[in-house]
Amino acid sequence: MAEPYVRLENIVKRFGPFTALNGVNLDVHSGEVHALLGDNGAGKSTLIKIMSGVHAPTEGTIYVEGKPAVFTSPRDATAAGIGTVYQDLAINPLMSVTRNFFMGRELYKGPHGLGLMKMDEMNEIAHDEMLKIGIDISDPTQAVGTMSGGQRQTLAIARAIHFGAKVLILDEPTSALGQKQQMGVLKTIKKVRKRGDIAVIFITHNEIHSQLVADRYTFLALGQVIGAGKKDELEHNEIRRLMAGGAEMRDLEQELADI
Amino acid sequence: MSDRNESDRLQQESTFQRLIRRPEAGSFAVMFVVLVLIAFASNGNAMNALGIKNNLSIISQFGIIATGAALLMIAGEFDLSIGSMIGFAGMSMAMMLKWGLPFGLGEATPFSAFFITLAMTLALGWLIGTIVVRSGLSSFIVSLGFLFGLRGVTEVTFRLINQSTQISGLQDFKEESFFARLFGGESFGWFYDLAFAMGFNLNRRGEQWVTGLDARVVWWILVVLIAYIILSRTQIGNWIYATGDNKESARANGVPVNRVKVGLFMTTAFCATIFAACQVFDTNTADAAKGNLKELEAIAIAVVGGILMTGGFGSIIGVAFGAVTFGLVANAVFYIPWIDGSFYRVFVGAVLLAAVFANERIRKRITGGI
Repeated sequence: MAEPYVRLENIVKRFGPFTALNGVNLDVHSGEVHALLGDNGAGKSTLIKIMSGVHAPTEGTIYVEGKPAVFTSPRDATAAGIGTVYQDLAINPLMSVTRNFFMGRELYKGPHGLGLMKMDEMNEIAHDEMLKIGIDISDPTQAVGTMSGGQRQTLAIARAIHFGAKVLILDEPTSALGQKQQMGVLKTIKKVRKRGDIAVIFITHNEIHSQLVADRYTFLALGQVIGAGKKDELEHNEIRRLMAGGAEMRDLEQELADI
Repeated sequence: MSDRNESDRLQQESTFQRLIRRPEAGSFAVMFVVLVLIAFASNGNAMNALGIKNNLSIISQFGIIATGAALLMIAGEFDLSIGSMIGFAGMSMAMMLKWGLPFGLGEATPFSAFFITLAMTLALGWLIGTIVVRSGLSSFIVSLGFLFGLRGVTEVTFRLINQSTQISGLQDFKEESFFARLFGGESFGWFYDLAFAMGFNLNRRGEQWVTGLDARVVWWILVVLIAYIILSRTQIGNWIYATGDNKESARANGVPVNRVKVGLFMTTAFCATIFAACQVFDTNTADAAKGNLKELEAIAIAVVGGILMTGGFGSIIGVAFGAVTFGLVANAVFYIPWIDGSFYRVFVGAVLLAAVFANERIRKRITGGI
């Protein structure tokens, strides 16, 4: 079995008296989609914040390519190849696709800051990188505000990949999108997976979406891993059961019927 | 159906459609109408040799400070201290020229007076910016504090040292100092010489009438040119847009948001200082009341020029058109005898409101109505 690109070992995170994560293990392999599922408050957000360097774990170790890593800021995580695409996407609607793509990392010639941007080259790269994972924007100078939610998602993902992400954390990328655009995002995830050199951590509430693209699952409930495994090892019903936070779906049905 | 994708829904536009959708389009249209109206109503007097000189004088004044204000507004902040900064800088320069350098360092030259003043105003701009980014308070309030505070400091200093809040009859430094001529002298003399040689620009006795434009016209052109290049072509320009659009996402992508803002507060202070230097070296006077309300005019011009109040969008060229519009209307009373000068304010109010509505429409169109 190949070495995972990122391995979390026994991660514990406490906020004062509150234990958000209680000994979580997670292996992330390149070329795989790892679905991270769990109910609200299960600890998904805390876990990705630890991986992206926003929070430091109270206990436990993060290994990147087998070596222990300490992230003191999001910049460290980015440098280690962990790119996070948050729900707000960190995209500016009034700016053009290209300007968003290179925001803070513009290509320029001349002195830092006052150097002239290489607009043509940047337009081309932004267009090509987005085309690689599925959308052909006709005009990279169009404002992002004119694009659909799915296209914006693609822009954020393409940007993270272009700037060296080896692990792509997608924080509920399909929520707040219409049916068709959700499918577009799933296609994008598949295309990223096909490259083979990038690991995707796909955080979602949606069991069907995870079924469609994921290779591996980790289920969180109340700060602990309640189930994990490869897709072919997990039964469909097992996934559904774990999705409901471990409670038997049938019990829930019964409870609902009783009301 | 299947070979259709979302980008097909973005209509390809003709060159003309693109042109009228540019952020400058609205302010260009307003400028054009005002230009034609005033040219006719003044029987061409507003556009004769002297008219052009006088109009460009005030247009440049407006343009210099509005450009600084516009850059700052694109980054999402306001500076209400511009007017007081003009008064402060003018006082500082005139006082040094009249009473010598501080701490008994001897006589001031236009050079030393200007650069010591510039150092102070840049430091003040840095202070305002730093307070805004560190405290997280609205720049409206912070700079309002400096609007009052700086004006007060200017008046107090004037009375303490000079016993009066005015200085007049300074030596005419531009006679011998090249440096003073850079601000208070003339420019584009060749243009007027050429016009004279071709038989225009004559006074009643048939001699050359106007010798040149104010030097501040060159400053205005320089400020606009540099601001335009920085905003549209450089890395910092992208940071300015990013900061004003959504500073959290800008920060998440590594844009030095705070440094951008502080730098732009220093830019508005720089523009105010240039404004004041041109005034002092042109007229050889200073007055504690100079620059009053200029900050609001600068913001109004920026808005009419297509800058969004919420930041993140706008064009420097549009602001230049806005400055031309405001300058022409402010001067209209001199060329159109039957008009009441206060119509300038009526015009400003009406155009400002119209511009805000227009800008809001543009913003909605770009962001898809959010």
